[in-house]
Amino acid sequence: MSTDLRGWRIAVLCDTLVNPPDQLRATLPDVFAIVEANGYGVLQLPPSGDHRLLLAVTADQIAEYAHHGYAVLAIGLAGEPSNGLHWRRLVPLLRHRKISPPPRHIVHPDVDAAVAAERLTTVLAGYDLPLGEQRRWRV
Amino acid sequence: MEHDAPRKIALLANCLLNQNAKVCEGARYRGVVSPVVEALLRRGYQLQQLPCPELAFAGARRWWAVYEQYDTPLYRDHCRRLAQAIAPLIERYLRRGDEVILIGLDGSPSSGVRFTSSKPDWGGRPDRPQDDWDIVPHRGIWIEELEAELARRGLPSIPATGWALDMGRFDEAGSRRDLEDFLDSREQNKATRADTPGAQ
Repeated sequence: MSTDLRGWRIAVLCDTLVNPPDQLRATLPDVFAIVEANGYGVLQLPPSGDHRLLLAVTADQIAEYAHHGYAVLAIGLAGEPSNGLHWRRLVPLLRHRKISPPPRHIVHPDVDAAVAAERLTTVLAGYDLPLGEQRRWRV
Repeated sequence: MEHDAPRKIALLANCLLNQNAKVCEGARYRGVVSPVVEALLRRGYQLQQLPCPELAFAGARRWWAVYEQYDTPLYRDHCRRLAQAIAPLIERYLRRGDEVILIGLDGSPSSGVRFTSSKPDWGGRPDRPQDDWDIVPHRGIWIEELEAELARRGLPSIPATGWALDMGRFDEAGSRRDLEDFLDSREQNKATRADTPGAQ
């Protein structure tokens, strides 16, 4: 029997949600901790700026997961350029790899942190691939 | 924001934040390796995940391998490409004076820091638990190529250790003590330097 414990779910996270600055820490839910508690692995996106090579590498990894039975979800932060998800550059890279962009959940810093945390938890808990896809890959 | 106070940055082997990157049968956690993240966050480190070289090269459904199996020109080229992708970020941290450390994955053929797995004559069909390889004190190939890329850029070497996940029998409590000793010794060294008159 396999002892492998992987959760088969991955959150592509905006850098600011991995490393929130002090001024945002007080108003945001602890997104990283929520993702962790829900059993997701994390793929960290680069901070804002031009990171073409790194985004291509990230797209390679997302594509590999998406092709092999992993559920991938992107979590961004409102107020950041492109919600911190580099979407304008990442989406063409994914399409080039024959992958639809993963669903996005955007955290809004002006929403009460407890409410935002609950919304995120609900999304994470309810998200996965259809059962048929899970059975195909997760043996 | 380049004028801000220096930060503490931990470069992390990809699978320390994402166990889905592990080889088949190799994941010991659902997603995040929580003891590593907890130890770092408690000491004020920011996290910077490194790309996973094996996932993008051999795929999500690969089997385990030893150093010698990955020690090919093509895999080293691939690791160099990844190193060139992440190096600008690391260079930015170092040039602005951030304190940067690296936490790899000891025992890994790619991400090992203090130890890697070795068996020069190994090959063929994987056969766990009969498979047997040696753990030797050596960097993994990805770490070798990353450090070479940073050196090419004239950057100083980064203090590094490994989380001992791929050393055979995994001892989480021992790995945690080991990591915390590494982190605390850095704090003590800084405090000692600060107390020494004339120290930089």
